[in-house]
Order: sequence, then structure tokens, then C-alpha cells
Amino acid sequence: MTNPKIVGFVCDWSVELTPLLNGNRLRDLPNVYVIRVPCSGFVRPGWLEDALNQGAAGVFVTGCPYGDCLNREGNFLMRDRVDQQQRRLQRRRIDPARLAMFAHGLHDRDAFMAEVRAFSDRLAAMAGGQATPAPATEPAPAGGSS
Amino acid sequence: MSTATAHPSRYGRFMTGLLRITLRLDTFIHKLYPTDFNPLYYTGGLSNLFLFILVLSGIFLFFYYEASLAAAFESVRYISDGVPYGGIIRGVHRYAADGFIVAILLHLFRNWFTDRYLFSRDNPWISGMFLLLFGGLIGFTGYQLVWDERAQVLTAMFLAMLRSIPLAGDGLAKIFMGGVGIGEGTLVRILFLHIVPASTLYVLLWWHYLRLRHPKVWPPGVWVLLVVGLVFLLAGVIPATSGQPATPAGRPTSFPMDVFFMVPFWLLNWLSPGAVVVLSVLLFVGGLAVPYFSRRETAPQMGVRHAGIAQVIDGNCTGCELCYFDCPYNAIVMVPSPGPGLSKAAANRTLLAVVLESRCVECGICIGACPFEALELPKFMERDVRIEIAQAVQA
Repeated sequence: MTNPKIVGFVCDWSVELTPLLNGNRLRDLPNVYVIRVPCSGFVRPGWLEDALNQGAAGVFVTGCPYGDCLNREGNFLMRDRVDQQQRRLQRRRIDPARLAMFAHGLHDRDAFMAEVRAFSDRLAAMAGGQATPAPATEPAPAGGSS
Repeated sequence: MSTATAHPSRYGRFMTGLLRITLRLDTFIHKLYPTDFNPLYYTGGLSNLFLFILVLSGIFLFFYYEASLAAAFESVRYISDGVPYGGIIRGVHRYAADGFIVAILLHLFRNWFTDRYLFSRDNPWISGMFLLLFGGLIGFTGYQLVWDERAQVLTAMFLAMLRSIPLAGDGLAKIFMGGVGIGEGTLVRILFLHIVPASTLYVLLWWHYLRLRHPKVWPPGVWVLLVVGLVFLLAGVIPATSGQPATPAGRPTSFPMDVFFMVPFWLLNWLSPGAVVVLSVLLFVGGLAVPYFSRRETAPQMGVRHAGIAQVIDGNCTGCELCYFDCPYNAIVMVPSPGPGLSKAAANRTLLAVVLESRCVECGICIGACPFEALELPKFMERDVRIEIAQAVQA
């Protein structure tokens, strides 16, 4: 439970994943499972909520830098949809901070990893309490950062 | 097929290298600007802005210009010296033209190197080649209108190039001059060839934007201010000037070079007029062919899966138009529904989404837009994504 389960939808054209991946997971952060999509705009917001409901601690979508989408506006549309989905999550008493949208270009490997790591740490600090409301009283923040 | 696979691999690797270099340039620029203000993301909008400046200043210049051999040079000098701020406007017209060419060349190379012209996106590319051709022609005729020595040399060179075309050449030269020699009709024709292609640019721009849902026709406000300010500053600091007036007897041999418009004429130093004509035609035709002959096999060489053209699931479509609004290429149209759908939400629909296959680039943005599970990419289906999500949360 120390490492929160994270599902990442990553656009094929954004950050170059080949040197970062080990199978379907990030080599440095094995708790992050990557699903590659043809464009960040391909991701249906319902899938993000489903992943959260099925037990993922966090979900993120990565697109190209804003303004540079190969398909012109896929990442802008996805940013709007993620915002919308976060409001929807709030209405359903799910912490919207468990959903995130990143934008990184082909060469932004370090920035991407830093952002995913920060996201992972944030989720670890939340101690997974939001996914299952019952044990939320137990703090258990130990080992969150390690 | 077998010949097509051997060739693109090397070409594909070369283009991938160019793509990486182009995006590397972006990461450098992002250290200076936030991504929303990266000027390289707005080369098209910048071209449009330059064109707008050109049209406004051109209308001003048109009021004072006289298209005759005797009066043309004097009228241009009167614009520079006699008309209040006329010299500034003339300079603005001149430097905006240079900026226009630079911006559209950047636009061309960036979209070429980042693969934004392939497959269903050939329409903007083809219209863009025509925009480039017309832009070059307008710049060239603009230099002739001043009718100084440079204009005279340019005209002579251009006529030599026209005459080098077999069969049609002499006729074309006669049409261009409006007679057997340069006469009173010539400058009128050149003025026509300056203004009418400039108007045609807007027709071509309509074609350019035809397949784009929300074209970025304008750069961010700060860049508009910076560009307008820069053009005015240049026009004030380095005024646009004419050379010596043209005389019928004069035989000038050199002129101040303008790298943006006179490359073909510069090549005449080494090549015969016929060779320059052939080279220009080859460049243009080659440019038109780029989206077709350089087409790479999608899946392995572009490093992405071939997703397949988006398909509408008839029974689930509710006619809500969300995919229609979000498709960046106008590839989805709404048609009157032939009958009710199968799902509860689709029972009362009046419209049905239809994907135009020739326009679809297989990006999948419509899948993300559809909340009713009524769209699928054939080779990347929702079921597979859900299986992957289940795998991800299991382990």
C-alpha cells in the first residue's frame, strides 16, 4: 500500500516513453501503469473514473505541450474534459486531486518523470484513504515518500 | 509495395531526425516563453497577421500609385517624401512582405518536419504550396512596381525566363508586357498581377482552412503587438528606398539583393534562364507531391499504431453533436437520422453522426468526445482499453 497504484494514459506523440518503460510500467516508478493512446483526446473521461472506481489511487493523462498537439487541439479538449471530470468526481465525493492532466513534449522526459513522481508522492501522502472511505481514520502516512 | 517499403525506411529515419530537431528547438524556446506563447506554434497566425498588415498598407499605397512608365517612379517618390507618413507606410509594406515570406516558410518547414501534412491532411499542404507560389509572385511584382533600375533588371530577367519556355514563351512574354516591348500597358498589367493574386490569397486561405475546425488564424495578442511594433520600428529606422529611376536606354547590371523574394533571379548568376524555370517548376511540383510520394507506412515507421478510421455505432448514437463539434478536421457531419437508435438514450434522436472517411486522420478525438459509447477506432477499441485498465489496477 505504500506505492499508490497509478494508471497513466500517454499520447504516442508526447513524451518519448521507450527509454522509460519496463513492460507497461515505468522503470523508475513501477507503480505507474502506462496505457498508450493515439492522442490524448482519445481518452474518454468515463474511463478515468472507472479506473479510479476499480481501485487505482490516481489517474493521469499526458498530452503534447499546449498549442502543439499533432491533431491540433486534442490536448486542449482533453484539458477541458479533465476539468469537467474533476468537477464530476467532486460531486461523487471522490477527491479530484486523484485525476491529473500533464503536457510534455517528445524531449521532456525529465520534466515528465518529475511530475509523475510528484503526483505519486501526493497520492501516497493521501494514503489511499479516499478510495475506501472506511479505513480513512487510520493515518498511516509512514513510508509515503520512500 | 515491395519497392515502397525499402525506400521510406531511410527517408523515414531522416524525417524522424528532422522531427526530433524541430521539437528540440521547442524545448529551447520553452525556456524563454510559456508554451502558449511559443511563436513557432503560431507561424500560420503570424503569416495571416503579416498579410493583414500588407493589405491595409497596400490599400493606402494604391491611392497614390500611378501605373505608367513616366509617372510610376515619381509617384512612389511622392509617397515617400510628399505624403505625411507615406514613407513609414511604404516601409511597413516592404518589411511586412519580408516577414510574410519568412513566416510562411517557417510554417511550411515546421508542418513538414512534424508530419502535419500526411494522409487526410493534404488539403492544407496543397493550398499552402499555391499560397507560397502566389506570395512569391506578389513580392516579385511589388519590386517591379517601383520602376527603378532594379525593377528594370528584374523585368528583363523575368522576360528572359519567360522566353526560355518552349512554344508558349514568346506569347507569354507578349501577354506580360502587353505588346511586343515594354510599353504603357506593362505597369498596368504588373499592378494587376500584384493586386489580383493578393486578393486570390484569401480565396486560397479559405481552401487552406476548409478542413480545419478551429483554425488558429491569429497569434496571441502580445505577438500581434510585437510584430506590428517591430514592422513600424523597422520602417522608421531603415526606410524603404528606390534605386535610380529606370531609363529606356539604361542597362544596369547589378541591384540590391532581397533574399526573400529574389532567389530565382540570384540563381541566374550561374544558371541559364531555362534552367531556373525548370528548377522552379520542379520545386513547385515536387512540393505538391510531398504528401504523396513521401508517405510512410504508418504503423512501424511512424512509431504509432494504425488505429483505423473512426466508426459510428449506429445503435448508440444519440445525435448530440459533441463529436461533430470536437473533430479538428471537420470529418464528422450530422445527417438526419433514418430511424431511432437501439439504446435508451438514442431512442429519440433526430440526427446521426457520419464519419467522412476521406477526412479522418484516425486521431480518436471523437472517441473521447462521445459519452454514449457510439464511436470506436477499429484497431483500438474501448473493450481493449478497459481490459488494460483492469490489468493496471490488478497487479
